[in-house]
Amino acid sequence: MADSEAALDAVTSPDVLRAVIELAPTAMLMSDRHGRIVLVNAETEKLFGYARDELIGASVDRLVPERLRSLHPAHRTGFFVDPTSRPMGAGRDLYALRRDGSEFPVEIGLNPIRTEEDVFVLASIVDISERKRMEARFRATIESAPVAMVMIDRRGHIVLVNAELEKLFGYARNEMLGSPVEVLVPNRSRHAHPNLREGFFAAPEARRMGAGRELMALRKDGSEFPVEIGLNPVVTDEGLFVLGGVVDITERKRLEESQRRLNEELQSRLGELAHSNSALERSNVELQQFAYVASHDLQTPLRGIAGFAQFLERDYRGRLDDTADHYIDRIVASVKRMQTLIGDVLDYSRVDSRARPFEPTDLNEICRDALAILDSSLADSGGEVIVEELPIVRGDRAQLTQLFQNLIGNAIKYHGKAPPKVEVTSEANDGGWVISVRDNGIGIAPKHHERVFEIFRRLHPQDAYPGTGIGLAVCRRIVHRHGGTIWVESEAGAGSVFSFTLPDKARQD
Amino acid sequence: MISDRPVHILLVEDNADDVFLTRQGFERSGLDVVIHHVENGELCLDFLRKSGAFADVPRPDLVLLDLNMPIMGGREVMAEIVEDESLRQIPVVILTTSDAEADVLEMYKLRCSSYITKPIDFKDFQRIIAEFSTYWFDIVKLPPVHGSGA
Repeated sequence: MADSEAALDAVTSPDVLRAVIELAPTAMLMSDRHGRIVLVNAETEKLFGYARDELIGASVDRLVPERLRSLHPAHRTGFFVDPTSRPMGAGRDLYALRRDGSEFPVEIGLNPIRTEEDVFVLASIVDISERKRMEARFRATIESAPVAMVMIDRRGHIVLVNAELEKLFGYARNEMLGSPVEVLVPNRSRHAHPNLREGFFAAPEARRMGAGRELMALRKDGSEFPVEIGLNPVVTDEGLFVLGGVVDITERKRLEESQRRLNEELQSRLGELAHSNSALERSNVELQQFAYVASHDLQTPLRGIAGFAQFLERDYRGRLDDTADHYIDRIVASVKRMQTLIGDVLDYSRVDSRARPFEPTDLNEICRDALAILDSSLADSGGEVIVEELPIVRGDRAQLTQLFQNLIGNAIKYHGKAPPKVEVTSEANDGGWVISVRDNGIGIAPKHHERVFEIFRRLHPQDAYPGTGIGLAVCRRIVHRHGGTIWVESEAGAGSVFSFTLPDKARQD
Repeated sequence: MISDRPVHILLVEDNADDVFLTRQGFERSGLDVVIHHVENGELCLDFLRKSGAFADVPRPDLVLLDLNMPIMGGREVMAEIVEDESLRQIPVVILTTSDAEADVLEMYKLRCSSYITKPIDFKDFQRIIAEFSTYWFDIVKLPPVHGSGA
């Protein structure tokens, strides 16, 4: 202990203290109550550009810019009335004057030094040019930011705003500076804001304001708008500040809202679609039920009519006259025709109800099968059918056979005076095939070209060409199911060409 | 007929015309057949089980069953018969207007003995009855009517 006391005595000797002041990295200057400089250190010489002997004995006012000089003696007198350690200037910007006449911003700490004779003041002078430059750069950065920004101090007063914020809130800058930040908060949430603000200062970290809450901001004109606010603590020499970035999310809200509405609309449309889909399914089911009813319930009374007519024919033939016998024949014939019609309606409905999955199908085989079925009618007509090489397609074998059978059958059936000559050809078109059945028959006038495909539409009397008018309607239904189209090119008396397309990859059902 | 006893057929059919035509069909074929008739599935099961008014009826050699009938249809009858140990040996032939594939498939899955679609033309019907009778009553050996369960 004695050693360290001795050491302390040694270092507090006037020579040592003088050296400490001299070498301190801060400019130091001591003056008396009249403002006369009594001591400066090397850093002071360097900062102000004076030699030591130019300053000693001179007035400190020499170091104060001319424009501020007149105020200085009064401040100095004030200090000596109550000499305590404090920063000079209390909130004012302080500037110092170099020998060369240039000014620079300073921060000055004042300390009273009491000696036996009097009280002196020791001023420590820090050049804050660099800090001021940084601050200016910070302000410029904030100012040029594309986001509205506001900085508040610990008391919640606005200390900095940028042009974007002026634009966003409709206030001029000087209307906001110094005001509580709560002027930007709608009335109803204003009372809660100071607490929230203090909470942030207590635990400052960069975060979003009001997580999960809908934040609203208040313009000068009283209108409100939804905002998103990011908070950042800014630590400076002057203490802690909070920098807030304010984003107007009116447009985003509007987009979200319209997106939400679109979604709702989409949902409701999907609902409608599902609904009409199930309606369609229901109607399909109903159609199948109809076909079932047609096959069962419509035929039962027919069987009764036919049966009893036939009992009459068999049991009473000869006991009635010829007219009665003829009537019985007519009844039986009509019943059979009715049965054929019902069967045809069923065939038509079965294009869908008895549909088979599609599989690769060689149309050459299909055509051979159809011709085998038509063999006897072809032989009776004395005609011929020429079949070119046909493609392999995806389709329903049974239906495609029916299609060829109906088209080739018609070509044989509707012949003129000459025996029928039928050609079946195929041709690739984009995405599939065109299959054509050409005949030299009686032809069809153009005005009937569409109608021939309608169900039960017949162009000829029963006795000329018997039939129910179902064949081409079934053909069209089969072609449609395979994703193709069917049409006829013909002139009355000049033969017909029935053509249909089949996609190369007919859709799976 | 191989047996001295006439063949007993239970015809389950709701349509009076069809009943008449079927009876006529068998009569005109000159077969020794007794046709018993009930008009729905419920009565069919009562008949087979000799319940209620049917206490004294004979056990039929074969049932001709229509599908679509009021009160109880052929499907339900078939489903009950196959589940009933005392009834399942009786051959049941479906005789219906329906030629719907779904019906055909369903009834065979329920183990019907065969499935016949009624033709419209009585001449065709007559021919079917003749061939049906030859098959079932001359060719086929039917289960004994006083066999197990009765």
